[in-house]
Amino acid sequence: MWRRLEMTKPDPTNSFKRLSNIAQTIFETRGNNAKIKLAADYFQSLDDDNDLLIAAQFLGEGAFSDVSGKRASVGHRTIAVLASEFCEIDYDLVFKPCRTVTGSSSETIQKLFNNLPEARAKWSNGKLTLQETSDIYEQLYITSKRDLKQQIIKESWTKMSPLEVKYFIRIMGQGSLRIGFETRSVVSAIAKAFGKDAEKVRYAHMITGSLGETAVLAKTNRLEDATFELFHPLSFMLASPIESRSIENFSEYIAEEKFDGMRCQAHISGKKVKLFSRDLNEITGSFPEIIDFFATKNLSEIVLDGEICVFKNDTIMPFQHLQKRMGVKKPSQALLKEYPVLFVAYDLIYNNGQPLFDEALSQRRHQLEKISQAYHLPITSQMEVSSLSDVEALFKQALNHGNEGLMLKRKDSSYEYGQRKKSWLKVKKPSGSLDVVILYAHAGSGKRGGTYSDFTLGISVKDDDRYEEEFIPIGKAYGGYSNEELVELNKRIKQLTLERFGPTVLLKPELMVELEFEDIQINKRTKAKYTLRFPRFKAIRWDLSPNDADTLKDVERMYQQKIDKERTSQTKNPSFIMND
Amino acid sequence: MIRIQKAGHHGILLPDLNIGLDYSGTKADHIFISHAHADHMPRNRKLTVYCTRPTARFMKLRGFSGKMIEMEFEQPLETDFARITLYPAGHILGSAITFIESDDGSVLYTGDYRTPPSPASEGFKLPDAPVDQFITEATFSLPIYKWKSHEELAKQVCNFAKTSLSDGYTPIFLAYNLGKAQELMYMLKGLNHPMQIHGAGFKLCGVYVDEGFDLGDFETYNRETCEGKILIAPSSAPDTGFASNLKKVRTAYCSGWASNEARRTQLTADELIPLSDHLDFFELINLCEKLKPKKVWITHTPNPKVVEHFLQKKGISSGFLDVEALGND
Repeated sequence: MWRRLEMTKPDPTNSFKRLSNIAQTIFETRGNNAKIKLAADYFQSLDDDNDLLIAAQFLGEGAFSDVSGKRASVGHRTIAVLASEFCEIDYDLVFKPCRTVTGSSSETIQKLFNNLPEARAKWSNGKLTLQETSDIYEQLYITSKRDLKQQIIKESWTKMSPLEVKYFIRIMGQGSLRIGFETRSVVSAIAKAFGKDAEKVRYAHMITGSLGETAVLAKTNRLEDATFELFHPLSFMLASPIESRSIENFSEYIAEEKFDGMRCQAHISGKKVKLFSRDLNEITGSFPEIIDFFATKNLSEIVLDGEICVFKNDTIMPFQHLQKRMGVKKPSQALLKEYPVLFVAYDLIYNNGQPLFDEALSQRRHQLEKISQAYHLPITSQMEVSSLSDVEALFKQALNHGNEGLMLKRKDSSYEYGQRKKSWLKVKKPSGSLDVVILYAHAGSGKRGGTYSDFTLGISVKDDDRYEEEFIPIGKAYGGYSNEELVELNKRIKQLTLERFGPTVLLKPELMVELEFEDIQINKRTKAKYTLRFPRFKAIRWDLSPNDADTLKDVERMYQQKIDKERTSQTKNPSFIMND
Repeated sequence: MIRIQKAGHHGILLPDLNIGLDYSGTKADHIFISHAHADHMPRNRKLTVYCTRPTARFMKLRGFSGKMIEMEFEQPLETDFARITLYPAGHILGSAITFIESDDGSVLYTGDYRTPPSPASEGFKLPDAPVDQFITEATFSLPIYKWKSHEELAKQVCNFAKTSLSDGYTPIFLAYNLGKAQELMYMLKGLNHPMQIHGAGFKLCGVYVDEGFDLGDFETYNRETCEGKILIAPSSAPDTGFASNLKKVRTAYCSGWASNEARRTQLTADELIPLSDHLDFFELINLCEKLKPKKVWITHTPNPKVVEHFLQKKGISSGFLDVEALGND
């Protein structure tokens, strides 16, 4: 009797089980507003600020806040193998075919935990609070020992229901919860829960870089406290392709060359310097020469937005050279010598204790130029334009420099951090195209639900001794076709399907696509060892057969051509001003 | 042991007994059809076949023009070589499992089946005699599949209809038009709310009514008058303009496959109801344990190895009934 009472007791508001139930209900609910309302009601129901912080973070970010840089670091395979042990089933014989059908490891685990008596005997229902769950992730982060991590996970599973386990795994992965509820919606839910302006909540999120903190600030009426802090990265302002909008008055824009480098935010205060990448990770250690360069300048507090490029013999070198430096935490002297880098600034977002996001670009640029002259910092050259022909001439010049193209920036625009609007426009030429074959089709979600809208594309390796396959994947594309073409493709996909893996189908190689992309990069982790940047459909080539597919050798040739391309030195019409 | 051959897409052949099961080839004198779903009906529409009375009527309505000899459940037919008895399979109305006894032993062939049976069927029953070889479908043959009870599912079905109607929406159930559609109507009839069913399914409802299954207040789908009624249609219908004149609709997709989350993102349905007319993985394993046949033959699945693995752990010998496995002996 006592036991029954215990079981029918509602879950405490701060249980991890309740969060899991809310997530599942959000997943099963259609319509964004209805989803937002569910999350808003949930946030409102949490009395404790710390519980709210964890809940918002779990729903929108993951086990850790994006800016914390922490990760649980547990591999997918480890989880699947552990779950198989938990269920006392064979990983290869039983788990794998189940996962093939669902297309999701965490969903498979939820179902097996629910269905198999061996697993049911081990787990208990909803024992953990939000804080206790957060502590488990923290333990996983602290521990680097594999067996200890496994022990922590197995023990935590004994305290959760299968639904909780599913979300525990997804939250741990620091990716999407796959409930059709992304960051933007969590921000809206926080605003709705505490009667705040969504724009103000979004601002606070940008500044804090943490959905959890933002939720607490909104709840405690302290959104205004979210102020920019030096050495905490701010989301970058992003550019839209120029095709999406025709410019009426060119003179409202200023042009800069678009460097083929790595976007970077430099936070500087005297000798202290930190660099952040576009995904807001700290990359200070990878670029000691930039740190040294700024540290010797004795600058007051500033934040620069700019680009890191390999700069050698007065020439900006291709991105592929920069790749040798990316991700190298402590570069060797030899690497530093072979691939010296330079930080070229093009925006100033903080100066002497004052955030400048709300200032117009021309105003920010004015301050940037003054600092650049006083401290000898490289900054981009800015060019006035008044017509399309001006833009075209400058575009050619940029390509001659070996740069990617041109940026057009509205002179009166504020720094719209974290947004991709029309204030910054990029003018780029597609770098190349390849004839490829569709290997896999993936069902889209939302508006494209029920149709195969994403495609994995392959190039030919059938005459290539290095491979046994006929085709290997070179990239994934999900745009550039018309609705009619998509319908036609889906018809053919039905006929060509060889095997299903959840939302993915393996196709008989037959459908040919002319694929456009921005760049080719080396990526050792892929089968082809190359990846394409921004691949998209140029045309579906019903006229071609898989025998016409381009080969891996073609890709290698294109890559080499790009590396070897002649680049004009920066002595004439430079892309940037050294100010030294 | 009775020899069993998988005759490719033509079904199953017991060559020594001249018996075909869901078979449409030319090598059998006696062909037994388990039920009237397209993948079990003979491709050759002129054959002479044995089946239950409802199956015969469904097949006729669906375009089969051969001779159909009706059999009652549990009333055996004697041939020169064997005795054949049909038992209710619980899959759809008229569905039968076929029990074959001969001097060389016995074979139980399931066709498609469901245990516990669909409420809109004649139930599920097994022969009392021992089964030597058990040929079973295994459509949902992975341990990720475990169904809720029919009571729970019926509650979900009725709640979906009630809530949609009271919110001012027209509920649409997407379900296969023979079997699942009528099972839904059978579950929904207690709401005493008018229903409209897509034409292809409507013409089959009469057989249910004649067999004594009350499907409630229903008529054929009419675009002009469908608003506010409970609608039932195959899952392809919304793409072809079914009820597209209605602004406020809610759809529920009813199928065993609805239990996979990926279905939710692939379909634009408001509710997914995992209502299956096949048995789940655990029901299958339990049934095999209960029957204790000398051999279990698994068909209709891409994952026979998983079932074999679980049966092996229970000490039951099994194999995948495939063309290669048994074709040429």
